[in-house]
Amino acid sequence: MTTASVRPSTGKNTGSGNIPDLKLSVFHCFNALPDLSVLDIPGCELSSINLPCSSILREVVLLKAFESGADAVVVLVCPEGSCDYQQGNLRAKKRVERVQKLLKEIGIGNDRLRIHNLSRQDIDTAEKIIRQTLADLKKTGQNPAPQPVGSEKR
Amino acid sequence: MIVGEQKPLGEIKTNVSPYHRLLILGCGTCVKTCFAGGEDEVATLASALRLAFKQEGRIMQITEQTIERQCEDEFIREAAPQVARCDAVLSLACGAGVQMVASRFPGVPVLPGVNTTFLGVLEKQGLFTEKCLGCGSCFVHQFAGVCPLSRCAKKLLNGPCGGSRNGKCEVDPETDCAWQLIIDRAKAAGSLDRLVDYIPPKDWRTSYAGGPRKVFREDYVI
Repeated sequence: MTTASVRPSTGKNTGSGNIPDLKLSVFHCFNALPDLSVLDIPGCELSSINLPCSSILREVVLLKAFESGADAVVVLVCPEGSCDYQQGNLRAKKRVERVQKLLKEIGIGNDRLRIHNLSRQDIDTAEKIIRQTLADLKKTGQNPAPQPVGSEKR
Repeated sequence: MIVGEQKPLGEIKTNVSPYHRLLILGCGTCVKTCFAGGEDEVATLASALRLAFKQEGRIMQITEQTIERQCEDEFIREAAPQVARCDAVLSLACGAGVQMVASRFPGVPVLPGVNTTFLGVLEKQGLFTEKCLGCGSCFVHQFAGVCPLSRCAKKLLNGPCGGSRNGKCEVDPETDCAWQLIIDRAKAAGSLDRLVDYIPPKDWRTSYAGGPRKVFREDYVI
């Protein structure tokens, strides 16, 4: 799993008034999409996380993104029936659904986590999805539990 | 294996709420296999609880650890240093594991995070079904290898009841009729005639009715 932060957090507001950067984590299968660092989206701190297959995505990874301050998480996977590893995108969908249920129960809101199937290398659609997510986020607001919290693991 | 389900997040959150330093202790055997209390479930629950408390402006210090088995003291001892640093343990083991951990650490509250459900098998990915009541006196050979106590809703020893439809139970149409399975297997094995033998009522003294049970293997005690 590799991560590329497209617009590192400056801790400052962007040029768009007093609205701080919205933090968006995008997990995507690298078979589905190239590196999303080519995108230039103002007002957004975008983390692009490349996965060898979306099946590697675990529930805890999605939750940790929110723990780390993400305002929304988007998972982009191959169309159903065209996963190189047969069912990776279906497994990812099930896991996203489980985490959505948890987020709803926690009170953060299940709409902050989304999954989309898109054609391979369709970066235009990926950009539209990201822009739409950001537009929706402006209505729902920032992650109400944004600060990273320490965890000790044995 | 022992099959369990993780308790709802809300119930767990309420139970751990009085504490500030929590150890979530997973078990790497049965409950790991049924996705209720292994390493992945410990990590997911820890993250979800941290977020949930953060929502309320509270910091819950959560430590995560998964040991091989919570029903054996030699594995539980591995958790002692972590337990010493926490003010409560949330055990994701079966009820046996929870009690074993509580017994090892008398001064520490040990809370259950899993509802222990039954003794069963992995039927297919994500589907676990009950196969054994642990009655203490197995007699499945008299039923062509299918236990009517755990698999027939009416626990009939001299079935079928007559309510079966298309091989399914009238109590739950999603469940196979145990007596249909018994008859089908007996036919296939050429032992259908053995099913005409009357089976007397079960002697439940070997089960829960006889109080807490023990297995003492003197030949293994040193």
